[in-house]
Amino acid sequence: MAASAVEPRANGAIDQFGVPIRGVSLWLDAWRRLKRNRMALVGLGVVIAYSILALLAPVLPIYSYKHQVLDHQYMPPSLTKTAGQILYERRQNELLEAAKASGRVELTDQERQELADYRTKLANETTVLDGKTIKVNERRYILGTDSLGRDVLARIIYGSRVSISIGLVGTLTAVLLGVIVGSLAGYIGGTFDYLAMRFVDVLYGLPYMLLVIIFMAIFGRNIINLFVSLAIVSWLTEARVVRGQIISLKNSEFVQAARVVGASTGRIIFRHLIPSTLGVIVVFATLQVPSFILLESFLSFLGLGVQAPMSSWGSLVRDGVDGMDNYPWMLFFPALTMTIFLFSMNFLGDGLRDALDPQSKNKL
Amino acid sequence: MTKYIIRRFLGLIPTLFIIMTLSFFIIRVAPGGPFSREKSIPKLVLQNILKKYHMDEPMWKQYGRYMLDVLRGDLGPSYRYHDRDVNYLVFGSLPDSMVLGLMALLLALVLGIGTGIVSATRQNTWVDYTTMGFAVIGISIPLFVIGPILMFVFALKLKWFPTSGWFMADASWKTAVMPVVTLTFPYFAYIARLSRASILEVLRSDYVRTAQAKGLRPSVIMFKHILKGAMLPVVSFLGPAFANIVTGSIVVETIFRVPGLGNVFIQSAQNRDYTMIMGTVIVYSVILLLMNFIVDIVYGFMDPRISYR
Repeated sequence: MAASAVEPRANGAIDQFGVPIRGVSLWLDAWRRLKRNRMALVGLGVVIAYSILALLAPVLPIYSYKHQVLDHQYMPPSLTKTAGQILYERRQNELLEAAKASGRVELTDQERQELADYRTKLANETTVLDGKTIKVNERRYILGTDSLGRDVLARIIYGSRVSISIGLVGTLTAVLLGVIVGSLAGYIGGTFDYLAMRFVDVLYGLPYMLLVIIFMAIFGRNIINLFVSLAIVSWLTEARVVRGQIISLKNSEFVQAARVVGASTGRIIFRHLIPSTLGVIVVFATLQVPSFILLESFLSFLGLGVQAPMSSWGSLVRDGVDGMDNYPWMLFFPALTMTIFLFSMNFLGDGLRDALDPQSKNKL
Repeated sequence: MTKYIIRRFLGLIPTLFIIMTLSFFIIRVAPGGPFSREKSIPKLVLQNILKKYHMDEPMWKQYGRYMLDVLRGDLGPSYRYHDRDVNYLVFGSLPDSMVLGLMALLLALVLGIGTGIVSATRQNTWVDYTTMGFAVIGISIPLFVIGPILMFVFALKLKWFPTSGWFMADASWKTAVMPVVTLTFPYFAYIARLSRASILEVLRSDYVRTAQAKGLRPSVIMFKHILKGAMLPVVSFLGPAFANIVTGSIVVETIFRVPGLGNVFIQSAQNRDYTMIMGTVIVYSVILLLMNFIVDIVYGFMDPRISYR
């Protein structure tokens, strides 16, 4: 990494109190400062927790995200009651309402018999899922179900998988392509720089959402195309940022020194220049993860992203919007999940930016 | 300065040219062409259609024709709506989007700068913390979550405003409140944070201290000295803000069913109506390029440190 962890003190460096400054690596220094920022730490914790949940989704004790139980449409969320109990109460209320409408206070014997039969029927109803026969009405929907009787909790967790991995893949390609193009353009300069930057300018002229939408419209909506289109548009800003950094660094003393001792261009770029820009890149990448997640959700929200039965945060919010008047949980829980994550990413990004800011080095 | 403006303006031409060229090839090369439907069309009919749209000519001729047409302001026929051309659909819906976007941007500027001033002058008080907390919400929650939630609370539960119906018959301005406020929110938040930060920075500068030492009134210092310098980051944010307003308005238009360009764009993307898609994109990019151009020029006027050769 950048400055390797040099233990001995930097030559004669003292801080404003006359205490010698101990040289620490960029990352250790940053981590020390990050640790003091409570919001950033909470953010980091939430992001890690989300990632673990998303990663472990297949082994978690949750229902399938695509299995439809058509009898269980629009089940309200409940921590304690099983689907059967909710259905039973629903029927009971219906009968009571009907009774009230016709001026009776109590149910007739016949209606009571009907309710009892209904209870037995619910208790014995089974369905076959993954080769196993289960009592379907014993399912519990902590966060309710959607219009096709699918478990919202499972859909949110599996949606997180899609959303988070899009964020990561987008950022990784952005960093990789952006660093390569940006550093080459910045260091070599001249015609290559000009052409590369004009190309970036042109793509920049369009909002990248539009580019992705065009791509998805032409090549079809599936998750692979989504990844590819993200990769195409993602690296532009990174390339600019890295290029700017490299240009400001390439005439500095340590690069001149490297050139004087005969280091090759590749070595100067990859061993000297890129490590010095890593701090900026990391901060930028952290701030970019949520923007890719937003992009994907945006597309899915508009119906141009992931296709059913697969879910992502955006498509879940979309499903929620359609029925929010009567079934608010379908909107509320995905929106909340997403909001918490984005908040955490923001705090983490801000914290990292403060922590990696070279001006605050060796200060706490 | 004039020279710079002219040069900067000429610089827009290659970008536009490339966008148009790209658009032509996307329309022609993309799979699932305009006339591929579930039902196959008889050969003779297909030939006639191709002839009507000049698609039987060699590629270079089609390219020349397309470029000339676009330059003359004709974006071609829609591949889906046979009785309408792209111009009709695009320019018919553009005004609604412009009204929505400009209202939101204006509101965001006024509210954002105002909030910025208030929280910068009362730094680290509860006013500051509340407004900045609010701003964090605006920045991190996406429009398509804010929109439905506002709709749920103010339209469905409180019934203050209608859920949709942009300036339709009876509901008048009330219909515009929800979409405009939703679209304003993130930009308001961003501008508030931006102007707070830059006002704080300028507050500590030497020339402000000089002004204070001269005994000028605080309001004069704020509006004549501080704001002039502190608005630079806000102005340069306006460039990307326009781009974001475009995409933001797509979402808002979808949620609140505003019959704007964003809705047209999404529909054409779902229909794979390539001429419509690219027509919309060309219009969007012209708007954005012009806006960025204007922002650049304004920035140059505002910042005395920049000199143009």
